[in-house]
Amino acid sequence: MSDVTAKEERKKRSTLVLRPSSRAINTSVSGIHGVHQSTRDTNSIIGCASRRCFSLAGGSKVLEKSAFQTPRQVVRVFDEEDNDITPQPLYQADPAVAQAKASRLFLDEISAGSASDQTAATGSFTMPFSRSILGSSRISSQSTIEFMNEEIEDTFSKRDLPINFPDVPGKRDTVKEHVTEDMLREVTDVYISETDSISLLDMPSTLASVDADDAEAIMERNNQYAELCRNRTGNDKYVDRSVQTLNGAAKNKQVQSDSMVVVDSATTVTTWDMYDTLISPEQCEELCSQEVGRADYPEAGEDASRGAERSVSVGSMASTASAASSLKEVETFGSGINAESDLQLIMLSERFQHCLLVMERSILGNTFQPKLAAYRQLPVTKEPVSVVEQREEDAESSRSPAVERLWAFSCELSRGRSVSSMVWNKKNPDLLGVGYGESGSSKQKPGLVCCWSLKNPTWPERAIQCDSAVTSLDFSSNNPSQLAVGMQDGSIAIYNVKSQDSKSCVLSSSECPNRHLDPVWQLRWTQQELSLTGGEMVESLFSVAADGRISKWFICSSGLDCIDLMKLKKIQNTKKKAGGAKTESVLSALTPGLCFDFHPTDSSVYLVGTLEGLIHKCSCSNNQHFLETYRKHFCPVNRITWSPLSPDVFLSCSSDWTIQLWKQDHHLPMLGFSSTQTAVCDIKWFPKWATVFGAVKEEQLEIWDLNLSILDPIIVQPAAAGVKMESLLFAAQTDCVLVGDSDGHVTVYLLKNLSVGESSQVDILEGILRSAAPEQL
Amino acid sequence: MAETEHAGVEETLKRIEAQKGVIGTIVVNAEGIPIRTTLDNSTTIQYAKLFRLLTMKARSTVRDIDPQNDLTFLRVRSKKHEILVAPEHDFLLIVIQNPCE
Repeated sequence: MSDVTAKEERKKRSTLVLRPSSRAINTSVSGIHGVHQSTRDTNSIIGCASRRCFSLAGGSKVLEKSAFQTPRQVVRVFDEEDNDITPQPLYQADPAVAQAKASRLFLDEISAGSASDQTAATGSFTMPFSRSILGSSRISSQSTIEFMNEEIEDTFSKRDLPINFPDVPGKRDTVKEHVTEDMLREVTDVYISETDSISLLDMPSTLASVDADDAEAIMERNNQYAELCRNRTGNDKYVDRSVQTLNGAAKNKQVQSDSMVVVDSATTVTTWDMYDTLISPEQCEELCSQEVGRADYPEAGEDASRGAERSVSVGSMASTASAASSLKEVETFGSGINAESDLQLIMLSERFQHCLLVMERSILGNTFQPKLAAYRQLPVTKEPVSVVEQREEDAESSRSPAVERLWAFSCELSRGRSVSSMVWNKKNPDLLGVGYGESGSSKQKPGLVCCWSLKNPTWPERAIQCDSAVTSLDFSSNNPSQLAVGMQDGSIAIYNVKSQDSKSCVLSSSECPNRHLDPVWQLRWTQQELSLTGGEMVESLFSVAADGRISKWFICSSGLDCIDLMKLKKIQNTKKKAGGAKTESVLSALTPGLCFDFHPTDSSVYLVGTLEGLIHKCSCSNNQHFLETYRKHFCPVNRITWSPLSPDVFLSCSSDWTIQLWKQDHHLPMLGFSSTQTAVCDIKWFPKWATVFGAVKEEQLEIWDLNLSILDPIIVQPAAAGVKMESLLFAAQTDCVLVGDSDGHVTVYLLKNLSVGESSQVDILEGILRSAAPEQL
Repeated sequence: MAETEHAGVEETLKRIEAQKGVIGTIVVNAEGIPIRTTLDNSTTIQYAKLFRLLTMKARSTVRDIDPQNDLTFLRVRSKKHEILVAPEHDFLLIVIQNPCE
């Protein structure tokens, strides 16, 4: 068999012709010869013309079947000697891989038109085929593909190109079964090579090299052109001709728009602005609650609608969480512009009242600045105008002790009343409580208590009207705002001076059955130990009244209640009855007590001065008997006062024109002082120096310094005309003395040039007393 | 209650106005309109406007240094008088005093 073909081949040695045959394919299935032949034929048909391929389309179905069954037919070329010189394809297409993604790839290549290997290989040939493939039915396309595959394989076998032959899609399913894991894992080599350059635009250069072949021609042409250009000017052959472009008629079209409103907005950012914005949510809540409260404030002559408006505006203000603080200043308090309502609102606000207070004090501070500075022992700023005069005055004034009048606390309320008692507040040394007695006019209430502040000498901070003339006052130490007032009708009231309401009376003794029925001459808050071992100090109120009782008051449910510490019994002078039968002292009536004083250190011991002129020393623990009795005065004892610095020394003054200085353990006074023949109303020790004390007589103020003289006072200040001095008070930490008179003035005097040393002078006083002691024996 | 308070406030104002050396008193509301004054109209308006600006500047200065701080009182001492201003958020109280009288 093979020989036969070989022979045939040898006949046509020169040319390797693959003769076409039409339908011989089917018949030649069985035999190898036939197969070879047929393949040869078919391949040649295809190789010649594309149209022949189309002609074969009719028998495509048949072909397909055959193709299905027959394996790929390989072309074999034999030469004369029957040598197999079949050109081997450079690339053996992997049938499995090819079949797997056969048609799809093929079609993709067509559609994409990409310059991949496959398309490049099949590009020029597939294009004509593609049309046919896509247009015709699937089956036909498959068949033509099949044909084409074979053809391609043959014709392009020489090419060094990997050709992927898409196979019939129908085979694909079966082929898929053949794809095993191993095949997938198999490493396939993919060769990538450069495709042909596809020229998209080719504009040849107009430059030509001088050495080019047609360079001369080009140059000739160039010269011709240049000459032409030269000849053109002024040549009749060339006529200038102008051309005009007609401009079309312009049509104006106008458009109008609303002007854009430009608003300038600016803000100044400050540190406090940022701080306010940060904390404004919390503040807004507070502000809202405050303002709502204020909106409910009863306003005279305001409409209800007005109030509603304001609350609405408040609500809106509160809702905006971010309120610039600059806006807050400009914000209107109310929605109305009515000045009257604004004034009302403002004036009723607390802040306005506070502002007024501060303002008044500032103004007065300006006015009284030199005086207050002198009081506080600050260097006095002198006005430049009056410097010259001041110097003259200074030169004149000698170094002798004197008092300088600073100012006087007085107001129209107190005018005409006599000052019965004065007391400093325990906590605030600038606050002075003054009790006034009967007023000259009967219009006002009989009693008045004023709390004065040093910062305002023209108007009291508080003015409390009392039902009867005030005879004594004392501030509490434990509760500094409580002021105990003793009155002429025997009642004791405790006021709280903190509150603005002047009618606030905290407690009163009017319901107490044990109350005094006679004027309370002196009140005192005193700290006392509860137990003897020095437990806690409890403050209690003590009073001495004209009914001869010394009472200790305490607060009970219904007000004040008291227990009697001592009853001042009348003690007859036993000397008178010495000769006769010894009779018991007549305990008839109680003698009025006028004054008392507790010992500075041992607060259970106190002294009482009586109307008879006797001074009793008593103890809190013993309410039956006196510890001791001091007799010297024969007129009512107006004041007793322990020395704050020197222990066991006390002073007493009486209407018998004398002042007596006593020592506790001596029955008789150590020293006695008398100046003028008028009753001594009040006497007080100077807080800083033990040898100085002040005394008030009706017509003058006397300052005694025992260091300098024990016979005469060193300073005598006469009272103002028509005025009687009534009470006396020293100011702590300053050199000032306050004198209250019968006209309601409390005058502040500054003590100057008291030639006293730095020490408290206790030793000097002791020395004086010791020197005086032998006299008393 | 409000009546007595109002009376008390009125009294205090009158006392201030009657103090020694006080030339005039002006109460300005939040908008800068003087609502109560003892001076003539032109002077009042001038003082109100100028001191409102000054107070705002002073407050801004104090708060710029420390935002938690605030202005409580302002006193301007000049050759002839002293002007005391009590600034608040919703009003301004201005008093002019001649202390050397």
